[in-house]
Amino acid sequence: MQEQKAIISWKVAGVALGLLLTLATFLVTPLGVSTQFVVTDAIVAHQVAPEATENNAYLNKYGEKDDWGVGYGWMLVFGMFAGGLVTSRLLSKKQPDLDKGSMPKMWEGVFGGSRQKRLAAAFFGGVLLLFGARLAGGCTSGHMISGISQLAVSSFIFGIFTFGSAIAMAHFLYRKRG
Amino acid sequence: MQTLIIGFLIGCGFGAILYMGGATSYRRILGTLLLKDMTIIKLMCTAIGVGTLGIYLLDLGGLANMSIKPAYVGGVAVGGVVFGIGWAISGYCPGTCVVGAAEGKSDAIFTILGGLTGVFLFALAFPYLETAILEPLNFGKITLRDLTGISGIYLAIPFSAMLLALAFFVLKDRYE
Repeated sequence: MQEQKAIISWKVAGVALGLLLTLATFLVTPLGVSTQFVVTDAIVAHQVAPEATENNAYLNKYGEKDDWGVGYGWMLVFGMFAGGLVTSRLLSKKQPDLDKGSMPKMWEGVFGGSRQKRLAAAFFGGVLLLFGARLAGGCTSGHMISGISQLAVSSFIFGIFTFGSAIAMAHFLYRKRG
Repeated sequence: MQTLIIGFLIGCGFGAILYMGGATSYRRILGTLLLKDMTIIKLMCTAIGVGTLGIYLLDLGGLANMSIKPAYVGGVAVGGVVFGIGWAISGYCPGTCVVGAAEGKSDAIFTILGGLTGVFLFALAFPYLETAILEPLNFGKITLRDLTGISGIYLAIPFSAMLLALAFFVLKDRYE
């Protein structure tokens, strides 16, 4: 589990991410991802049902309501996709085999090799992730990394409850089965 | 237009770091949550340590465009619990699933689809949640600086030093 190292060490990645956050805060605003799921939903929903979308209190508030289009934050997430695409094509030989693919060995060992089961869990996990993130007002990037770096009280609360619940859930999923 | 390009470039850097640092790896995320593989938590502590110092140094010169999230304790706490469960089940967070999808991982793509569905459900539930959980106990956009009255940089330096010490000296991987 531990023997295969990532392409760059946590030291390099951590320092680079901290500097990138500082740069983003200097140039525009700190990093954040989960809001862009709302923007994407709002843009799509606005295409399908403009009136209902404009009348929805939440989509109207957080979607880019003036033009129902993309802004800085959405381009940032799009950039993450592009950055991931380019580096993963260039460096896939250096990526540890255990980090590849969508059927993790660890998962298979406990839950079996059913593809449907893994994808269903990933989908259901995604529903909870974004429902929770919107309830809390942010996710790992916006709350934990950017928020705690700004010493925001709400982000410390988010960090404590998120890690507490995720650690408990992981231990429950990978409990010793008799 | 310029801001859009800056956003795209910063995103590219963010995505590349997450991929190369191994943050899109299920075994690393679950290893972290099972308190065995400390790579991701050390990465986060380092990033926050450097970020805190960087942001509050910018702030000294009035150059930090901060964005503080309001502390509505109930929503943040319950949201954190729900988020944590989803994180442990999928093995992704909202950022890493985007990068995982770029790698071609189908479970990451399903996490994105689930996320878009989750936001849709949240938008429908919002009017009810707003009065029940989002509006009460809201202390506004406060930071430790507002709470303690201590100047930001004097909080940032020891906090940052603590996180970096945690990452570099304290946290160690534990395997059976």
